[in-house]
Amino acid sequence: MTQELVSVTIDGMTLQVPKGTSIIEAAKQAGVLVPHYCYHPALPSPAVCRMCLVEVEKAPKLMPACVTTVTEGQVVHTDSAEARKARTGVLEFLLINHPLDCPICDQAGECELQNYVFQEGRAGTRYAEYAKRYNPVEDFGPDILYVTNRCILCTRCVRFMDDVARSPVLNVSERGDRAYIGIDQGQLLDHPWAGNVVDLCPVGSLISKDFLHKARAWDLDKTASVCTGCSQGCNVMIDTRDNTVVRLRPRPNLEVNRHFICDHGRMNYRWMNRADRIEDPMFHDAGRPQAAGWEEALPRLAALIGKGGRTVILASGAASLESLGLLKRLVPDDAVAAVQVPLVEQEAPLQGVAGLALRRERAPNGDGARLLGYGAAWEAAVGAASGADLVLVLDVALTDAEAALVGAAAAVVVLGTVQAQALAGARLVLPVTNVAEENGTFVNRDLRVQRYHQARVAPGMARPAWWIAAQVGSAPGPATAAEAFAAVANMIPSLAGLTYADLGASGRSAASPAGAGV
Amino acid sequence: MSAGAHSPAQEESYQPVFVGDALAKLEALFAQYPTRPACLLPALWIVQERRGWISERAVAEVADVLGLTPAYVKGVVTFYTMYHTHPVGRHFVQVCTTSPCNICGAEEVTKSFLKHTGCGELGATSADGRFTVIEVECLGACGFATPVLIDDDFIESVTPERVPGILQGYK
Amino acid sequence: MGFPHPSHSKEHPLLSTHFGDAGARSFDGWVKRGGYEGLKKALQMPRDQVVETVKTSGLRGRGGAGFPTGLKWSFMPKEVSKPHYLVCNADESEPGTFKDREIMRWTPHQLIEGCAIAAHAIGAERIYIYIRGEFTPELKIVRAAVDDAYRGGALGGNVFGSGRRIEVVIHRGAGAYICGEETAMMNSIEGKRGNPRIKPPFPAQAGLWACPTTINNVETLSAVPHIINRGGEWYESLCLGNPKSTGTKLFSVCGHVQRPGNYEVVMGTPMKDLVYDMCGGMRPGRTLKAVIPGGSSVPIMTAAEIEDCPMDYEGIAAKGSMLGSGGMIVMDDSTDIVYQVMRLARFYAHESCAQCTQCREGTAWTTRILERILAGKGKPEDLNLLLDLAENMTGKTICVLSDSCAAPVVSAIKKFPAEFDAYISRRKQAVMVGV
Repeated sequence: MTQELVSVTIDGMTLQVPKGTSIIEAAKQAGVLVPHYCYHPALPSPAVCRMCLVEVEKAPKLMPACVTTVTEGQVVHTDSAEARKARTGVLEFLLINHPLDCPICDQAGECELQNYVFQEGRAGTRYAEYAKRYNPVEDFGPDILYVTNRCILCTRCVRFMDDVARSPVLNVSERGDRAYIGIDQGQLLDHPWAGNVVDLCPVGSLISKDFLHKARAWDLDKTASVCTGCSQGCNVMIDTRDNTVVRLRPRPNLEVNRHFICDHGRMNYRWMNRADRIEDPMFHDAGRPQAAGWEEALPRLAALIGKGGRTVILASGAASLESLGLLKRLVPDDAVAAVQVPLVEQEAPLQGVAGLALRRERAPNGDGARLLGYGAAWEAAVGAASGADLVLVLDVALTDAEAALVGAAAAVVVLGTVQAQALAGARLVLPVTNVAEENGTFVNRDLRVQRYHQARVAPGMARPAWWIAAQVGSAPGPATAAEAFAAVANMIPSLAGLTYADLGASGRSAASPAGAGV
Repeated sequence: MSAGAHSPAQEESYQPVFVGDALAKLEALFAQYPTRPACLLPALWIVQERRGWISERAVAEVADVLGLTPAYVKGVVTFYTMYHTHPVGRHFVQVCTTSPCNICGAEEVTKSFLKHTGCGELGATSADGRFTVIEVECLGACGFATPVLIDDDFIESVTPERVPGILQGYK
Repeated sequence: MGFPHPSHSKEHPLLSTHFGDAGARSFDGWVKRGGYEGLKKALQMPRDQVVETVKTSGLRGRGGAGFPTGLKWSFMPKEVSKPHYLVCNADESEPGTFKDREIMRWTPHQLIEGCAIAAHAIGAERIYIYIRGEFTPELKIVRAAVDDAYRGGALGGNVFGSGRRIEVVIHRGAGAYICGEETAMMNSIEGKRGNPRIKPPFPAQAGLWACPTTINNVETLSAVPHIINRGGEWYESLCLGNPKSTGTKLFSVCGHVQRPGNYEVVMGTPMKDLVYDMCGGMRPGRTLKAVIPGGSSVPIMTAAEIEDCPMDYEGIAAKGSMLGSGGMIVMDDSTDIVYQVMRLARFYAHESCAQCTQCREGTAWTTRILERILAGKGKPEDLNLLLDLAENMTGKTICVLSDSCAAPVVSAIKKFPAEFDAYISRRKQAVMVGV
C-alpha cells in the first residue's frame, strides 16, 4: 500500500507525512507537542478549545492544528509570537472562572490546564474583583463526579459517549458562559466503559470516586502492564503509591484497546494489594505445616516431580505464559493440564471501536495456556486430579468440592498467592507472585503476545512460578523472565524465536507465523 | 434541579403530547426532513404550543418519538431561548432592549411592563399567573422601537404609556 | 421605499416597490404585479445560464458577508448525485437590521420566486426557509404564501409545467442569533444545537446532511427574479461608480433619526444622503454622534466619517467599517456610547454558542468590565485590558461572533475615549448599580 506523502516544515524541521495528516499529528512526528484540549486522537475533532492555533505561512490567520491538514510545502510555526499570544489568551480565558483549587484537586500534577498555564500562562490574573461562576459538584455515576467549576467545555466526554460508547447520555447544556456538561435527569453514567471520560478529561472536572483524594499524581509510580479482567488484553498502566496499587488506567495500544479500558478492568486491582498472602514456602511433615526456606522446599518439589506418574496441573488463567510454560515442561507429556477461565453470559462491547469488548472469558491468558497444551476441560481435569499421583495447583482458589477431589490425589503441591489457596492436605505450599509483582506475558484472544512489568515488590519469599519451575528442572533453567519467555516461546511453533525485545511495549501477534505479525 | 420530575405521581399524571392531531402534525413533518432527528425543533414547538413549556417528561417523550436520547434533546432545548424549560405566565412578554431599541427608550418600556403586569422583576411570573416579562435580545424590528412580543403577537412602536392599554387585551 | 414612510426621490425601489401594499401578498396579487415571470423565464434557461446571469449582475450576499452570489452558486456540483439543498436565511437577527422582515411580510412571493429560481440554478429540489422564531407574523404570512404558491403551480412536483420539482419547507428558529451563521443554521435545521461548523468542508461540498447546500439571505434571493427578468447587465448597471458593488440595497435605519425605516438605494449612494435627507436627520435640537453602519457587529463610525462615505462594500470598508447587513444604527448626541457598547457586548455574551473558548469567556468578561466601568468602578487600565481581550477574541474562533463583539468595543474606545474616561475618572455619574 503506497500512500501519497507531502513535505511539510514544522518549527524548522522538514518531514514527509501522509497526505491528509493533521498538523497536530505531523507536529508530533517532528517532536513538537502542540498544546491542545479538545483534540484527542480517538475522537472526532470539533476544534473548539482553540488552544492549538498555529501560524501557517500564507494563511490569513492562525489555524487550528487539529483540523488543518498538511499541504505540500506548508511551513508551520507553532511557537511564533502570535501563536504564543493566542495560547496565553486562551489560557487566561479558561482560568477566569476556574476555581484554582489545585491543592485539593486529584488532577493536579497530571492536569493539562495546570501544565500549560505553568508553561505559557500569565503570571497574574486580570480578572480580579469579579465573582467566579459557581456550580455544585454533580454525581454522574457509580464512579464519576463532575466538578462543574473546573470544566473547560472541551466536550471530550460528550464525544466519547456519543461517538465511541454510542450512548449519548451527556450533553452540552445552555450556551455562552452559562454552558455546562449535562446528564439526563435520572440517568447515570454507568455504561460499562464510562470510566474513560475520567481519563479523557484534560482537567480535574470528571474525577473518579475510587481514586478520590487517594494520592497525588507526582507520588505515583507508573508501570506498563496488561489488564487481567478478561481475554481482551487491554494495555494498562498500574499506578502504585508506596508499593500499593491505587489505580489502573488505559495505556494506548492502537491494535488492542486504542485509548480505553472498561470499568470492570479499571476496578480490578484491589486483590493485587491483598495482605493475606502466602509468604513462606511450607511443607507438611507429620501432618503439621512447617515454614521453610526455598533451599529446603525446592528439593522436596524436585523429589515429588521426579517420581513421575499421573500428573495434573490446575492453573489460573491469569498465570503468565512463562509460568504456565515452564511448569508444563516440568511434567510428563501426558500430564493433564487445564486453566481456570471464569465465563460470564454476556460481553460488553465498546460500540465505536471494532474488536474491543469486555469479553465473556474473564481471564487474560486462556489462549496462551491453550497454545501450551493446557487443553483439558476444567471439570475433567479436577476429576482426573482425584486419581493422580501428583497435582500442581497454580494460583487457584478451589471450591470445597474441587478441593475434596484434589485432596484424593497422592500428592498435591500448591503454588499460591493468598492463604485461602493453601489446601490443608498439600505436601508443599509455595508462595508465588501476582501479576503486579512479576514480569511476564499474556496471550490475548487474538493471539497477541503482550508483556507486563513488575509494579510492586513481592511479599515475603514469593517468587514467580516460572522461577520455581526453573529451579527444579534437570538442567539449569532460565534465570530471568526474558530467558523464561525465550524458552517458552520455543515450545509454541508460532512464537518460536520471539524475544521480549521483539514484543516491545505493544506486543506482537502470534496469529500468523512468527515474525509476520505486527 | 427538580428531583421530583420523575416522581411516580408525575409519571402517572403525564399525558403524552403526541396523540391525535399533534401526532398527525408530527408525522406530517417526517416527510419534510430526510431524518427524524431533524424534526426536533418543530416537534418541540408542537410541545410548547400544547403545554406552554417543555418539561423533563416532554423531553423524554420527544426523544422517544424521534429516536434520540433525552440528554440530546435537553442539550438542544437549552440552546434555544424561546423554549421554556419552566412554566411561565399565561402570557409571555418579551421586550427588546438591545442597543437600537435601547437608545430609543426600551428600558423604560420594560419597567412599564414590569409595573403594570405586577411581575416586579424580569423572569418572574405575576402573582395571578397572568404574565411573565423578560428582556429579549434584538427582535429584528429596530425601526419600530420598541417592539414587544406577547405570546405570538408582535407589537411595534411600544411606548411606556401604551403598556396599560396593550395589557388590557391579555386576560 | 422607505417603509413605513413614502418613497424618497433619492431611493431606487426595486425589492421594496410593494412594501405597504397588502394586495401584493397573495399569489394572484403578486402575479398581477408581474410576479413569477422571472421564475417562468428561468425555468426555460439551462441551470448554467441562470448562474451566469447572476454572476454578470454582480449581486453579492446581502446578509452581511457580501460574497458574490453567482460564484457561490457555481460551487455546487454540476452533477446531482445526491440531493442538493437551498437554504433561505430568514433568521434576520443582526441588531439594527429589519429589512428581510419587511420583504417577507409584504412580498412573500418575491422571496419564494427568488428561492425557486435559485433552487433551479443549483439543482435543488428542496428549499428550507429558516425563519427566526420571533417573527410570528412573518411566519404566518410566508406559510400562507407557500401554500398559495403550491396551489398556483409555482412550487410542487411540476413547477409551471416544466417538469421541475421544487418544494419549500419552512423551518422555524427558536431564539438563537448565531443560527443566522450559515453553518449554525444547517445544524439547527438538522435538529442540533446551533453551533457553527468548521470550514472546510464548505456547504457546497457538504452542507445539510452532508449534501451540497447553498445558503442565501432573503434580500439576496429577492433580487434574483428582477435580475432574471431584466438581465444581469441591467442590474450591474445599477451602480454609482464602484463596479464591485452593484444593484440596489435595502438599508434599515434605526435609532435617532426622524424617519427610521427601510430605504432602498443604488449601491454607492452617499451615507449622509440617507441619514440626513431620506431619514430626515436627527430629532430637533440633536446632532449626530455615531453610526454603526452594517448591523451591530461592525466598527462604529463617527459623524465626521459618514460625511463622505459612499454606501457600498468597498466605500464603507475604506472607512474602517463594513457594509454588513445594511442595518444602520444612528446615535445622536444624547447617546451614552459606553452604555450602548455594554448592551452590545451583553448581546453577544447572551448569544455565544459556547463552543470556542475566546468567545464563550471573552464576551462575558468584556461585558463585565464594561458594566463595572458604568458602575463607576472602572480603572484606567481597563481600556487596555478591553483592547487586549478584543485582540485575543478576533480571528481566532470558528465563526465571527467573537470578532463581532470585539469590533464595536475597539472602535468605541478608539473613537470615543472621552466617554470612557468620564466614567473611569468619576466625572460622570455611575449609571449601573450592583456590579
